[in-house]
Amino acid sequence: MNPIVRVEHLRKVYRVGKEKVVALNDVSLDIMPGEVCCIVGASGSGKSTLLNQLAGLEKPTKGKVYIGKHEISAMNENELAKFRQAHLGFIFQSYNLLPNLTAVENVAMPLMFKGVSKKERNKLALAQLKRMGLAKRADHKPKEMSGGQQQRVGIARAFVLKPKVIFADEPTGNLDTKTTKQVLYSMLGMAKENGTTFVMVTHEKDLAGCADRVITILDGNVLSNILVDDETKAKNRAKMFEGVAADSVPDEPVAAQPENTSEVVPKTAAETAEKIKNTIINSEEKKQ
Amino acid sequence: MKISYLLKLSTDNVRRRKGRTLLTLIGVVIGTCLIVVMISLGIALNQQYEQMLQNYGDLTKIEIYNRNFIGGRNNENAPPMLDDEMLKTIKNIPHVIAATPQYQAENMYAQIFSGKGDRYESYFDGYGMDPASLEAMGIKLSSGQYLTGEEILGKNKIPVLVGANLGYNFEDSRKSYKSGKRRVYPGQVDSKGNPVPPFVDIEHDKIILRMENGDENNRKVREYELVVVGVMESDYNAGYFTDSGIVMSISNMKHLEKEFQKISGSSQSSGVVIIGPHGPIKEKGNGYNHVYIKIDDVKNVESVEKQVKELGYKDIQSLTQVREEMQKQVRKQQFTLGGLAAVSLLVAALNIANTMTMAIYERTKEIGVMKVLGCELGKIRGMFLIESGTIGFLGGVVGVIISYFVSFIINNLQTIIRILGIGQNAGGMDEMGMGMGMGVDAAMGGASSIIPLWLVAGAILFATVIGLLSGMVPANKAVKISALEAIRRE
Repeated sequence: MNPIVRVEHLRKVYRVGKEKVVALNDVSLDIMPGEVCCIVGASGSGKSTLLNQLAGLEKPTKGKVYIGKHEISAMNENELAKFRQAHLGFIFQSYNLLPNLTAVENVAMPLMFKGVSKKERNKLALAQLKRMGLAKRADHKPKEMSGGQQQRVGIARAFVLKPKVIFADEPTGNLDTKTTKQVLYSMLGMAKENGTTFVMVTHEKDLAGCADRVITILDGNVLSNILVDDETKAKNRAKMFEGVAADSVPDEPVAAQPENTSEVVPKTAAETAEKIKNTIINSEEKKQ
Repeated sequence: MKISYLLKLSTDNVRRRKGRTLLTLIGVVIGTCLIVVMISLGIALNQQYEQMLQNYGDLTKIEIYNRNFIGGRNNENAPPMLDDEMLKTIKNIPHVIAATPQYQAENMYAQIFSGKGDRYESYFDGYGMDPASLEAMGIKLSSGQYLTGEEILGKNKIPVLVGANLGYNFEDSRKSYKSGKRRVYPGQVDSKGNPVPPFVDIEHDKIILRMENGDENNRKVREYELVVVGVMESDYNAGYFTDSGIVMSISNMKHLEKEFQKISGSSQSSGVVIIGPHGPIKEKGNGYNHVYIKIDDVKNVESVEKQVKELGYKDIQSLTQVREEMQKQVRKQQFTLGGLAAVSLLVAALNIANTMTMAIYERTKEIGVMKVLGCELGKIRGMFLIESGTIGFLGGVVGVIISYFVSFIINNLQTIIRILGIGQNAGGMDEMGMGMGMGVDAAMGGASSIIPLWLVAGAILFATVIGLLSGMVPANKAVKISALEAIRRE
């Protein structure tokens, strides 16, 4: 099988004043289709830079990046835009939802860029939100949602076009532990469901434990590139998602602090009622 | 991504930034409004001047004077003899269609008579003109035909053209001067409302010209019959004589003059300089005192004038000069007005550019996100251009609407002042109007501000283009924003 992401002798040097900072020295790696791949490393190791190169957000100083057969490191901005539209999805640490669009409009945005009709894209976007357990939040603006909810809107947006590869830069960096687990669960579930290659940057080792492949970066070089064996993976995931799996994705994570409690609570109640069917005992208890 | 989506994002932003957009919009509105009103004033002004000139007379006719203001006859700058030979020379200038004096014999005592026993009498208002020039000089006939100069009518018969209202010049010599019945005026009606005909039917009645020496002891008389071959339409553009004057050939006029000199026994008028308020107006020894020249087209007037000046006649009067002077004035005013308006629109344009730049700073992150999600560059640019173009367009439309309102006020200033009852200020307002060059209408009865449709379309288009142009730089800047830096920005 051919790798879906292929990096050949990638080098990235930043100029800071007169000084040269080598962010990536000489990186070569392959990622196979359908893999969940975590790029880990200490801050300043160059892992974010690597992701930016992979996604074509920055041009490398040297080396090549292929996604499928396409050399994205050689594309111009417009070609990249078209390519992203067709094949790539993004999830950001700070969600990056457009503040004056509703959740469903945010999810529908990539469809709009592609020229899908309004009716069609709203249908698709709503379906995607439903899968993320956010159907009731479809007409809310980002401000009216908690961090976890916003990130799930972001995930829905990334998956709505069913891209080949999704890049995520510290997607759980702004979330608390519990929400992190839920969000991660959503992402991995979606990726497996759609057969999407999922490339995620994180500095949390236990998150990386759930991935198929863990690439560790240190000082601009690949320190290790490990395929996690199935047994370890299963063990790690079970540990990670303990309680979360049964929980599916609760609509209102406890840790989140809604800005307008009086507005949000009744809705949550209604949504909770729906969730009873799914035997969510946890949230029932919380309510009481 | 469709245009409709671009529009939605743009208008969203316009709506979101209501206050700032409104301020920018007001700038454009004021700019557009000023330009439209200023141009409308200029258009009205030009139209009024054109109308005024039309009332003045024919633009392709010039009048040259055989005189100069400095030093009189013996001055070295004195114009050359303006005689029949010189007339021929002038006629040979390219583009000259006709040249003729309106020759009047001075100091000639003559009267015209008609009716039984010469009952009706009038003064003789005769002009000698080149028969070939009559039609070219714009004289129109209501009946009959033009003079040819070659009519053979017999002894002491002179062919003439007469003004349409010559009949009203005659007085009934049997009625006293105090009697209301001594004269009939044009338009006079009797008790039943029927028009009263003049005493003399100029087309059919016999008209006699009689000259006398005025010496009681040795009375000498010359008598001629004036044969009317045509009646001129009264048209002041062609000359006041078309109303009630008598036109004959130059040679006949000179003949009459000579005969009068014979009976009066002197050539006293010959060589005498008559001083008018503006210098010598008649110099017998030097030919005609003034000559009219008709030119084929307005655009050739200037070159003919130049050549006439080269012949030595510096004193030329033409409406073209007056018109050019007026147009220069109008243009100067329009430039001043337009300049003011342009400055304000420039400020408006800067305002738009500023608003758009601010909008980009605020939306940098959004632009970055859109780029990363696969929005093409052209569409980002389009989004900002639509926004700035919309501001320009809306500003233009509102500006034009307000302009109509302002124009209405300017045109009805007098009425409005009267209604508001601030009569004592009316004089001051009027002066202000004059100062802005819109007082002419009082006499002309035209509007002070005219907004034609092309100005409306032009203004809206112009405002939109200004909007687009001022959005261009910010839009290009938006396109160049690095997606990576943009999404990192908080």
